[in-house]
Amino acid sequence: MNSKRVFFVTVLITAALFCISIMGLKIGNFEIKGADQMRFGIDIRGGVEATYEPKDLGRTPTVNELEAARAVIETRMDAKNITDRDVTVDKNNGKVIVRFPWKSDEANFNPQKAVSELGETARLTFRDPDGNVILEGTDVTKSYARSSQDGTDPCVVLDLSNKGAEKFAQATGRLIGQNIYIYMDKTPISQAIVETQITGGHAQITHMESMQAASALANKINSGSLPFSLVVKNCNIISPTLGSNALAVMILAGKIAFVLVCLFMLLYYRVPGVVACIALTLQVTGQLLALSVPQFTLTLPGIAGLILSIGMGVDANIIISERIKEELNSGKTLRRAIDTGFERAFSAVFDGNITVIIVAIILIWLGSGSMLSFGYTLLCGVIMNFVAGVTASRLMIRSLSNYEKLCRPQYFGARRAG
Amino acid sequence: MIKFYKHRYIYFAISICIILFGITAAFINGIQLDIQFKGGTILKYTYATTINAEQTEKIVEQAVGRNTNCLLQSNMAKDEKMLIVSLAGNEAITSQEQEAVTSALTKAYPDAHLALSESLTVEPFIGRHFFTNGLIAIALSFLLILMYVGFRFKNIGGLSAGTMAIVALFHDVFVVTAVFIIFKIPLNDSFIAAILTIIGFSINDTIVIYDRIRENERLLGKKVPTEELVDLSINQSMMRSINTNLAVFASITVIYVFAQIYDIGSIRGFALPMMFGTISGCYSTICIAGPLWTMWQNHKKKQNGIKPA
Repeated sequence: MNSKRVFFVTVLITAALFCISIMGLKIGNFEIKGADQMRFGIDIRGGVEATYEPKDLGRTPTVNELEAARAVIETRMDAKNITDRDVTVDKNNGKVIVRFPWKSDEANFNPQKAVSELGETARLTFRDPDGNVILEGTDVTKSYARSSQDGTDPCVVLDLSNKGAEKFAQATGRLIGQNIYIYMDKTPISQAIVETQITGGHAQITHMESMQAASALANKINSGSLPFSLVVKNCNIISPTLGSNALAVMILAGKIAFVLVCLFMLLYYRVPGVVACIALTLQVTGQLLALSVPQFTLTLPGIAGLILSIGMGVDANIIISERIKEELNSGKTLRRAIDTGFERAFSAVFDGNITVIIVAIILIWLGSGSMLSFGYTLLCGVIMNFVAGVTASRLMIRSLSNYEKLCRPQYFGARRAG
Repeated sequence: MIKFYKHRYIYFAISICIILFGITAAFINGIQLDIQFKGGTILKYTYATTINAEQTEKIVEQAVGRNTNCLLQSNMAKDEKMLIVSLAGNEAITSQEQEAVTSALTKAYPDAHLALSESLTVEPFIGRHFFTNGLIAIALSFLLILMYVGFRFKNIGGLSAGTMAIVALFHDVFVVTAVFIIFKIPLNDSFIAAILTIIGFSINDTIVIYDRIRENERLLGKKVPTEELVDLSINQSMMRSINTNLAVFASITVIYVFAQIYDIGSIRGFALPMMFGTISGCYSTICIAGPLWTMWQNHKKKQNGIKPA
């Protein structure tokens, strides 16, 4: 390729990628989400992050138990219509971490109550009037609300496991005409009269006062198959108004920082300064894509990391530009100065970037919560710096040095006239 | 050319003064841990009318039976009043207790339009775990950087180069910590992030200068006195150090100014120490790491019977 054109090709590629990272791209099934559709952390969009732990278990819960807990929490969140959520299981520490947004249009949403209700998963028992346990929550495979055929009588349907069906048949045979009580921990949540012996493994609690009550009870019975109750150990709730303000502020801060750094580079380094601005755009673009393509969660510290890496990113360009200037002052031709400048600057840029990579990886590995995002944007910034600040910059400067009008050493900051 | 080696004792004195100032501040202000690290609960509500903090404390204490501290805060930019309730205790507050606090407050102030803005609960045990993790992260990054610098700068005395780089890093970590203490910012995960970033960034400066020393040593040979070699290298890379630090300082200052105006606590508490850390990183490299390394090299030469120039 004609070396003169390399500069414009690089600029065009940068511009195209930048547009994609901001506006997104969709071709058939392939989609890159735009900057506004990024996955923001709860500190930006508002929401809840809660860590649930088994209560008084005295041992680390098994993976299956944790998965059951997760399934139950998810079921309950489904019931609450919280679809955009993130429930993860921390196997090593025996925790279930729940994140869900608090949408700004949900004026009556009570996040504190939601957190409590999700954790309300408790030991569920069916008891006879004397308080003897006849059926445990684990014996119920599934429970759901249904209205009877004519649509007037809401009821709760219970599907029992084989063992449960056996126990239930025995108990209902003994208790015809009496009450069966459903307990969550020590609190009775419902009771029903046994009308006939139930042998098939399908039971119904009829005459619920409303469909809503029926589905609420069904939900609670579902969570009863969990072998322990959950308690919230860590919880962070952030209102959506708080977060959206902060996002707008940080975006503005980012733009201003970018413009300031670019102005400085242009005024101080001229031709290499122009190249630095384009390289910086490419670097930020790469960071945005690294966030939006895998939909990595971006938090406020993450944005701070992005802005910070704008400042750090120009370091490569500054080292290189200073080096080119020096080589020019020592009497080299422009072309030689550019080549030796890059060669001699590379080891410093390389070593410097590796140390930032080391701390960024440590941050991602050991950092907690929102700092993960900070480490990630920092890491992406440094990696992109090799691509943009070093490789792309070199291509662009070499290409520009082919234009005779630009070939004056003073445009590269040298003292002598060309 | 600035003679950094000649004036080294002035720089050392300045740094020692800053460190002593930080230690004094730590004794006066104490080192505060954020609830992220020490555990506890903080609830923030926006409200419209007037609220009495002491009365609120009593209401909350009655509702949950825990030691409570209430604080009222207003924000100019957003025209908002904020009630901040902190609860102490060795056990994490349950979400039911949280609800109790909210309902007790709304009952007590029915006209205040109290709305939950933010809440954070951390169990002390987990908080301590996070804190230890953070400290491990800092120690680990020190170790890895020492190893990396030692490996990459073998030919200019890897161990001495690495050690002096670490001394400069300790200097920066100290300055950043001192800013947290002096401005009474409780230590939380922003602290760990700020420290790690400054470590990664400050070592950059040191590496650029070491890189220059390595190159000049090859160019000029071993006959040039170490202090001349170091002073030359520092002066040659000075413009770069200043300009890069200016760019970073500008970026972080913009973040700080906006976080300050719009009251984004999580960012403000991180940007301010970073601003000082940037300056410290530049200073510690030029004025501490270079001269110290020279002293070490001269000492070694003396031991080997070569007269230092």
